[in-house]
Amino acid sequence: MAIGSRLRASALGAVLVLGATLAPGAALAPASAATGDLPDLGPNVTVGRLPAGGTVIVDPTQGAPVAAVELWYRAPSTGFGSKPLPALARLAAQAVAASKPLVGDPLGKVVADAGGRLSITVYSDSVSISAVVPAAAARSIVKTMTTAFFAPVATEDGFHQAQRDVEQESLISNYDAETVVRDAVFAQLFTDGPQHYPALGDPKDVSVIEFSDVKSFATRAFRSQNATLVVSGAIDPGVAAAAVAGRPAASDEAAPEPPAVGTLSTTLLPVTKSFVEPSGGYGWAGPPIADTREATAMDFIADYLFRSDVGAVTKRAAVEAPQALIVGQFITLHDPGVMFVAFSGKDSSALRSLVDDGFGLVRKPMEPRVFASALASFKYHLLSDLQTPAEVADNFGWYSVEGAPEYAPGASGETGRYFQAADSLTPEFVASVAEKYLGKTPVVVTLRPDPTKGKVKSQ
Amino acid sequence: MKSAFAIVAALALSGPAAVGAAVPAQSAAAAEPLPRYPQAIATDLGVTKLIGETDADAPVSGVQIFVAAGLDRESPSNNGAAALVAESILRTPVSVSGKSGDELPLRDAVESVGGSLTYTVDGRSVHYYLEGRSENLASLVTLFGKALAAPDFSAENVAAARTSLLAHVAEFESNALSVGIQMFRRSYYTTGAGAPALGTASTLTSLSTSDVAAFYRANYKRAAVSSSAVGRLAPQLGDALRGMVAALPDGPVSAVPETARTIPGQATRIIAHRDVSAPWVVVGFAAPAPNSRDFGAMLVLESLLSDAFERESATTLGFVERSVGAFYLYDSSPASLVVYVNGTQIDPTQALRELLLVSRTLSLKPLSATALRHFKTAAEGQFVTDSVDLSDRSYLLGTFASQGLGPDSINAALTALEATTPADVQRVAKSYLQRYIVALVLPRQTEGD
Repeated sequence: MAIGSRLRASALGAVLVLGATLAPGAALAPASAATGDLPDLGPNVTVGRLPAGGTVIVDPTQGAPVAAVELWYRAPSTGFGSKPLPALARLAAQAVAASKPLVGDPLGKVVADAGGRLSITVYSDSVSISAVVPAAAARSIVKTMTTAFFAPVATEDGFHQAQRDVEQESLISNYDAETVVRDAVFAQLFTDGPQHYPALGDPKDVSVIEFSDVKSFATRAFRSQNATLVVSGAIDPGVAAAAVAGRPAASDEAAPEPPAVGTLSTTLLPVTKSFVEPSGGYGWAGPPIADTREATAMDFIADYLFRSDVGAVTKRAAVEAPQALIVGQFITLHDPGVMFVAFSGKDSSALRSLVDDGFGLVRKPMEPRVFASALASFKYHLLSDLQTPAEVADNFGWYSVEGAPEYAPGASGETGRYFQAADSLTPEFVASVAEKYLGKTPVVVTLRPDPTKGKVKSQ
Repeated sequence: MKSAFAIVAALALSGPAAVGAAVPAQSAAAAEPLPRYPQAIATDLGVTKLIGETDADAPVSGVQIFVAAGLDRESPSNNGAAALVAESILRTPVSVSGKSGDELPLRDAVESVGGSLTYTVDGRSVHYYLEGRSENLASLVTLFGKALAAPDFSAENVAAARTSLLAHVAEFESNALSVGIQMFRRSYYTTGAGAPALGTASTLTSLSTSDVAAFYRANYKRAAVSSSAVGRLAPQLGDALRGMVAALPDGPVSAVPETARTIPGQATRIIAHRDVSAPWVVVGFAAPAPNSRDFGAMLVLESLLSDAFERESATTLGFVERSVGAFYLYDSSPASLVVYVNGTQIDPTQALRELLLVSRTLSLKPLSATALRHFKTAAEGQFVTDSVDLSDRSYLLGTFASQGLGPDSINAALTALEATTPADVQRVAKSYLQRYIVALVLPRQTEGD
C-alpha cells in the first residue's frame, strides 16, 4: 500500500510517449460471441475486438469475489532493434506501470489502493501485466490498465523507479537455480532471437538501458492492436466495456506483432557456469504449438515425471535427495516448444541420474494401467490448475500470444481441443514423441560453485 | 522506506489537512460494495458437521477435513507426533479397487484416480485437504477414510514418514523468517501450540511407533472431526464423510488449555544465529480471536503494519523483496500477530524503532475516517486476494467457523472488517500492540567478523 506516497513526477514532467485521445471503449464488437477470425473459447467465454484493434476475452466465473485483469502482448523481451537489449521489455512495462499519467494515479498505486496485486512477467516473446483485485474493482482496473498501456506514458521518475525495481528483481533471479539453468538452456538452444537472451537480464543489462529505448519499445509493443485483454473472475460480463480505445493505429500498426522467430542451434555444446550451489539441467527443442497432439504428449510427460510432490522423478528425489530441487516442464511456444529440466542439490550427478532414469521410462510405452492412472492425474492437474481467476486469465493470455487460443486447456472445458488431444494419447504415441524429441542430444547445463569465491549465505 | 513518523503524524495525530496529504480524499474504491463469497451453509451429518460453499462452475471441488489433533495436544516430549501421525496416514496402503494386492500408499492411490491429498499441522488441528473432480470427491473421501480409521504405524512406515519430515524440518530451519516466528511462538505459548509444527530433528528421532500410535488413539475420535467443502456440489459427499467419521472410535475429546504467557511490559528479546546474510527481526504481539469484537480492527492493523513501511514499487513486491510484513496468526488459540523486518532490505534497528513508534501512536489517537476507509479497502482486498483457491477458502471456512464466526464464516470475517471504526483500531492498538516479544535471527559469527 502506498500510504502518503506520490510519485514525484508531475504532469509537467511526464513524457507522453505518444499523444492520444483516450476514448471510452463502450463499443466493443462483437461483445457476445466469437465470429469471423475470433476464436471460440466455449459457451461461457466471450471474445471480442477492442475498439482500436486487439482482442478481449471475458470469462465470468463464480466463487471468490476476486477478478484477474491481464494484458498480454506479443513482444520480444530484447526489443525490436537490431541490438538486443535483455530486460528491455520488463523495464518498459514496469516504467509504464510506475509512471504517473496526465490524469489520475499510476496503475501500480491504483491496484495497491484496492488491496490488489500487480505483477509483470516477461517471457522471451511476450509480456504479461496482471492485476488480481477484488471483483468490485475490476471495472476501474480495466479502465486504468488500458489507459496506461494503450497509450503508454513513461515519466523520468517512473523510469528510474522501474530501473531500481527491475535491477533488484534481476539480482534476486541470479540466485535462482531454475532461472539460471533455463537462461543457459535457451541461450544454447537458440543462436539468435529473443529466446537466445535472458528475459530479465543481469542488473548490468538493466542499468545500460536508456529512457529513450524504453519509450520507443513501449510505443511499438504496448498498443491495443497488439494486445489481448483477459478478464476473469466474479465479474459482470460487460466489464470489458470499461477498456479505453487508446490511440488509433497508424498505417503500419494495424496488425499485432508476429511471433518471435529464433534459429535453432545445430551444434549443442555442454554449458558450464559458476553458481552458488551445484546445479544442472537439460533442454530439448520440442513440437510447435500447432502440433497439438505432440505438444500435449510433451505436457503429459513433464507432468508424469516432474509434477511437484507427485511426479515419478520428484517422488524419487524426495526419498533419495530430500532437500534437492527438481523442476521440469514443457514450455509450449509458437515454434518450437522447449522441454526444460533444472535440478539443484549437493549431489548433482545423482540428481542427473534420477532425471535420466525418468526420461528413460517415458521412451518406452508405459504399462496400460500405469498410463491410465497417469492420464487421469494429468487431466485432474489441468483442471485443478484452472481454479483461480488468475490461472484462467494466464491460460487464455499465454495461448493467445503463442497463436493458438482455442488450444488453451481452459477453452471449452473438457470438450475443448486440449482435452481432446489429451484423450487421444496412447502409451505408444507418448513413447514415440519422447523418442522423437527427447531421444536427441540435449543441451546439458552444469553449474558449479566458484572455488575462488567465499561461501554465499542463504536469504 | 517511508518515514513511520511522517506516516503516523499524517494519519493519526494531525488535522484534516495533513491526513489529506497522506490518503486520497476520495478513494476510488470507497463506494464499492463489500466483497462477498457465495453463502456457506452448515449441514448436520449426525456424527459430524459439514460446512459447504458452492461454486457451480468450479472445475474441481475440495474438502478440508479438520481433526482436533494439532500442536496444542502435544507435549514437549512428543512434539512432532501430530505430524508423524498425519504423514503415516498419507503413507498407509489402501486399495482403490478393493482387491487385495492392489494397495498403494494413500497419497498415491488418490493421485492414481485423479485427485490430490495434502495436510497441514497447525496450533488447533491437523487438517487434510482432498481435491478432485466433483463426481469423484466422495470416493476420495471414502478412500481417505480407510487409512484414517486404520493407519499403518508399522516401524517401516513410521520410519519413512520420519525421514520425510526430517527433510522438511531442515528446510524450515534454513528459513530465517520461519525460525523467527517459531522463536516467538515458543516463547509466547504455554502449551504445545508454540512448538514447531513438524517437530524437531531430536524429537522426531526420539518418538517411537508406540508414541505415534498413542497420540492417534488419544485424539482421532469422531467428535474431533469437522469438515468444510468448496466447489461444485459433490454427490454423496455427506454420506462419505459420515461413513469416514463413523469408522473412528467414539469417545470424549479432552479439552486442552488455550493459554499463553502474559507478555511483559519490558520487551523480551530472544536471539538465534543461523546461516543468513543479514539479520531478521520478528516482533510478536498477542492478538484477538476471530470471534472477538476486536477481530476486524486487528485485520486492519495487520494490513496497515504490513504495508506502511514498504518502498514504492509499481508491482507487488515478493517476499524476499519486502522490508516489513505482518501475519495475523489465528490458527492457534490465543491468536498472535507477528511483524517481521527483513535486514537484507532495511536497517533493522531503524525499522524496529519506527514500527514501535507507529504501534504506540496508533494507540494514542484514532485514525481519521478517510484514513480508515483507505486501510479497510486495502485490508479487504488483501483478505480476498489471499483467499481464492479452494484449499485456502475451505481452510478459512472451517477454521473461522470453529472459532465462533458461524457457518458463513468468511463473509462474517469480512463483515467484521467492514464494521471496524476508528475507535476500534485505537482500542486494539492499545490493548495488543504495546507489549511484544522480539526475536532476532542473526548471521552466524564467522572468523574475521
